[in-house]
Amino acid sequence: MRATAAEHVQSPTNTYLICAVAWLIPGAGHLWQRRTQKGIVFLIALPLMFATGLWLEGRIFPFQIIEPLVALAAIADLGIGLPYFVARMLGAGAGRVVALTYEYGNAFIIVAGLLNMLVVLDAFDIAQGRK
Amino acid sequence: MSDHVALMAVFAAFVSVTFAALMRDDPREQLAFGARLFGGFIGAGLLLGWLLYPLPL
Repeated sequence: MRATAAEHVQSPTNTYLICAVAWLIPGAGHLWQRRTQKGIVFLIALPLMFATGLWLEGRIFPFQIIEPLVALAAIADLGIGLPYFVARMLGAGAGRVVALTYEYGNAFIIVAGLLNMLVVLDAFDIAQGRK
Repeated sequence: MSDHVALMAVFAAFVSVTFAALMRDDPREQLAFGARLFGGFIGAGLLLGWLLYPLPL
């Protein structure tokens, strides 16, 4: 007999740990919960999208409370997890405003972060036995 | 790479793949949903592009 999703409810500690890992490494939350195919797709697609944004000379936005839209973009950028910190450590993501692909790069970086936030929510739902 | 349509297609591909994996469980359904989503992105992009073409921007 096939086990239902509700039978795989994680403890609260595990759930938050899964969410933290899912945020830090895109797809890791799904891999943890044996959703291997989905986990691999996220593990490849999201960091690749983020890297494409950097390659297109997009900017990793700084946290500037004085400029709300920049601060929101910074929060979205942070959504990708570990690749964000790696890029910052390597000095990538300075952005070149005059580059033809600057806005495209920003869109790739921001959307990669936002998509990873959705992936974290999906991992949370799986951990709660909703899926 | 500075071809706007190609960049739009790459963007659409990333988003379609992620949403297909998020919203469908069966691989065949994922493929069908992802292809529909990708087609929708490209179609909407081209349509909006042509609708905006006559505007004096």
